[in-house]
Amino acid sequence: MSILAANKIHKSYGNKLNKQEVLKGIDITVEKGEFVSIMGASGSGKTTLLNVLSSIDKVSGGTITIEGKEMTAMKEKQLAEFRKQHLGFIFQDYNLLDTLTVKENILLPLSITKISKREADERFHRVATELGISEIKDKYPNEISGGQKQRTSAARAFIHEPSIIFADEPTGALDSKSASDLLNKLSELNQKRTATIVMVTHDPAAASFSGKVIFIKDGQIYTQLNKGEQSRQDFFKDIMKTQGVLGGVPYER
Amino acid sequence: MSVNQLIFRNLKKNLKNYYLYVFALIFSVSLYFSFVTLQYDPAMNETKDSIKGAAAIRTASVLLVAIVSIFLLYANNFFIKRRSKEIGLFQLIGMTKARIFSILSAENFILYFGSMLAGIFIGFSISRLIIMILFKITKVNAIARLHFSSQALVQTIIVFSVIYLLIMVMNYLFIKRQSILSLFRVVSSTEEKVKKMSIWEMLIGILGLLVIISGYYISSKLFTGDFTTMTELFLAMIYILGSVIIGTYLFYKGSVSFIFNIVRKKRDGYLTINQVLSLSSIMFRMKSNALLLTVITTLSALAIGLLSLSYISYYSAEKMAKNDTAGDFAITNAKDAARFKEALAAKDIGFDEKRIEVLQVSANLKNIMDTNLEGMMVDPSDLPLPMISERALKNIDVAADETIFTGYNDLLQKFMSLKDSGRIELKGQTETIPLHYLGLKKDFVISGYFTNGGQPIAIVDETVFERLKKDVNPSIQKKTSLFVGFTLKDESQLEKANQVYQNLSFNENDLYSSRLEISNTQKKNMGLIMFIVGFLGLTFLITSGCILYFKQMGESEEEKPNYTILRKLGFTEGDLLKGIQAKQLFNFGIPLVIGLLHSYFAVQSGWFLFGTEVWTPMILVMILYSIFGILSVLYYKKVIKAAL
Repeated sequence: MSILAANKIHKSYGNKLNKQEVLKGIDITVEKGEFVSIMGASGSGKTTLLNVLSSIDKVSGGTITIEGKEMTAMKEKQLAEFRKQHLGFIFQDYNLLDTLTVKENILLPLSITKISKREADERFHRVATELGISEIKDKYPNEISGGQKQRTSAARAFIHEPSIIFADEPTGALDSKSASDLLNKLSELNQKRTATIVMVTHDPAAASFSGKVIFIKDGQIYTQLNKGEQSRQDFFKDIMKTQGVLGGVPYER
Repeated sequence: MSVNQLIFRNLKKNLKNYYLYVFALIFSVSLYFSFVTLQYDPAMNETKDSIKGAAAIRTASVLLVAIVSIFLLYANNFFIKRRSKEIGLFQLIGMTKARIFSILSAENFILYFGSMLAGIFIGFSISRLIIMILFKITKVNAIARLHFSSQALVQTIIVFSVIYLLIMVMNYLFIKRQSILSLFRVVSSTEEKVKKMSIWEMLIGILGLLVIISGYYISSKLFTGDFTTMTELFLAMIYILGSVIIGTYLFYKGSVSFIFNIVRKKRDGYLTINQVLSLSSIMFRMKSNALLLTVITTLSALAIGLLSLSYISYYSAEKMAKNDTAGDFAITNAKDAARFKEALAAKDIGFDEKRIEVLQVSANLKNIMDTNLEGMMVDPSDLPLPMISERALKNIDVAADETIFTGYNDLLQKFMSLKDSGRIELKGQTETIPLHYLGLKKDFVISGYFTNGGQPIAIVDETVFERLKKDVNPSIQKKTSLFVGFTLKDESQLEKANQVYQNLSFNENDLYSSRLEISNTQKKNMGLIMFIVGFLGLTFLITSGCILYFKQMGESEEEKPNYTILRKLGFTEGDLLKGIQAKQLFNFGIPLVIGLLHSYFAVQSGWFLFGTEVWTPMILVMILYSIFGILSVLYYKKVIKAAL
């Protein structure tokens, strides 16, 4: 069963006279437990796509269905409710609240659900140990490193066991060591919890951690790569090759 | 686009953001202008003559300038900070700092003097209302006319031009410090350092609470007689003032975070959205806000306290006058009393007359004195007291070896309280008569002239009175020993009787008194003071409310990214707003509650007629603060809406 199905989504900005079409009819389906990357050059519309898919932005045309519920028809309040229940987010600039400790930040999505404190604690311990951040739980965001912040952000995305997790350039602000650390953890969680992850990135190395890569060019799907049984190294080379073609510079051997 | 166009564009765009600044400006100017108009109004002479009214008004206007300039400087500081990005951008495209400064100055000039004109206009139109209020409370029968004073205009323009120059100097310094880097720094500046709660901080928090409580404790003890010498009293007052202010600061610095930290620890990371937006955000900023909150709290407390005191004293004028006259009119000369009687009879005014002979005797009260009067320059073993015979009063009967005191001022009671009973001695020139003191009554039976404003009156048996009369000490006697009290049968004729009293134009000395007259003079004096204190207090409260509001505006903008995050995570606007409301309740409520508490203790310890009158100022302050609280919630609402 597909967990996310987007059908011919269009998105344009501006008014009638000066219209800029960013998404020009994109179809995407994501199955449960998939780890999908969306790649593309700057301005290709990948972040817009993610925003639209995650209900932060509204589409101009087309439908998006998550777990059988049509999101595009929902009102603002229902959308907020929906995000709270079914979606998790990881952002490039972490988006942690400075005023809260790591633990408080992570538990934030649980605060409205009717989960008991014990249960919440249990969940926190599980996810914090998986991501290796239990020992910094009482620190504030400005006391920890970027990698730790991003793992905190990831923990927050996983804590309420959402149907799907959206990650927008999660490694964009990290050094390569923390980046691969984080991606390893993400793919671990993806497998262990069969969590569905949709990640936007322009980094081929990051994309190679996922199972499927969708390339976008000028608001349309250019191509799609499946990892299948090949190793991450081979998949990475594939991605590089496709990206080279995508960028207009042929990949040469 | 030329620079001039740039200035106008900026102005147009910023006016929306600046509407509060403009409001603050118009408000300050109109207040100041109307106050100065008052100062120069010819109709004011009547009120000014009464006491040192002119001096009082002048002092008040100086204070007003101080309040207004601090307020405007703060407001400007707040608004220029919001434009640091713009200033950085101007620099980036190659403008010199001098150029930027001149652009800002021109912009400010238009804004500032435009609002000043509006302020003067508004001030002019409300000045009549203000004069009417003043006349009403000082009981001056004059007609308030709209009077435009060019002196007031010039003075207002000079004062506000000076403030404008000060603002310009501040802007200049601000721009000078600004670098292009600040374009990017705006984001990171919100990431203040949050430190962990240390044991030290907890101690500070507890200390703050203790210091405040100790201040309150001493203030409640202030007039109970524990502090008797002037120096002790003075030191106690200094201690109260110091401890309450320092305690308030420590309270904000430590206690609030301390209490919140306990709550937070208990939640163990599991915070509701309300707590996220209120608790953690307040804790996050408390340390940097402590000073501002302390200043606002202290000054609100001061304003409330002074308002209550003047309000109370204004409304207790009648009671004081009654005590002072012991009836409606008091006359101390048989001839004049007869004249007054005749005049009253001619006007058909019914009255009761009371004639009492009053002697001054020296009394030894050492045995019944509860407090130690050392240092008060009074010797309790040789205290001159007025004495009357029991014959003069109908319902009092004392034996030959007994005495009752009556008519004792509350204030004096605090300083030299008497025991319930004991032995005293009354001394004539040669003879000393020991008596049983049986207690104290409240009624004032003779006028304030005999009691020196508040001494108790000794009531003795007729025989004792006669004995002492023969043996009287001439050096402590008053000019007269006869008190004639008039009490009207019909209270509604008081006005008429007072007219009669005035027409007779008795000698202008302290010997006679009319209740209405005293009450009116008292009201005139207290009325002007109440008016000035009220004016300043209100100005202060409004400005501090504005400052709190500005601060909330700044905070809301700083926290905008947080709202974006929360809304992305799926919290609705309503969820966030609920938290914000809790936060505002705290932000405006805490200075209010602590201010009220402080002023309650200040008023309560210093005033004994403390009654229901204190509610009016308190409710007024509460309403004012709630208006600003609601305004800031509305502003937050706008910010939250725009966050996603």
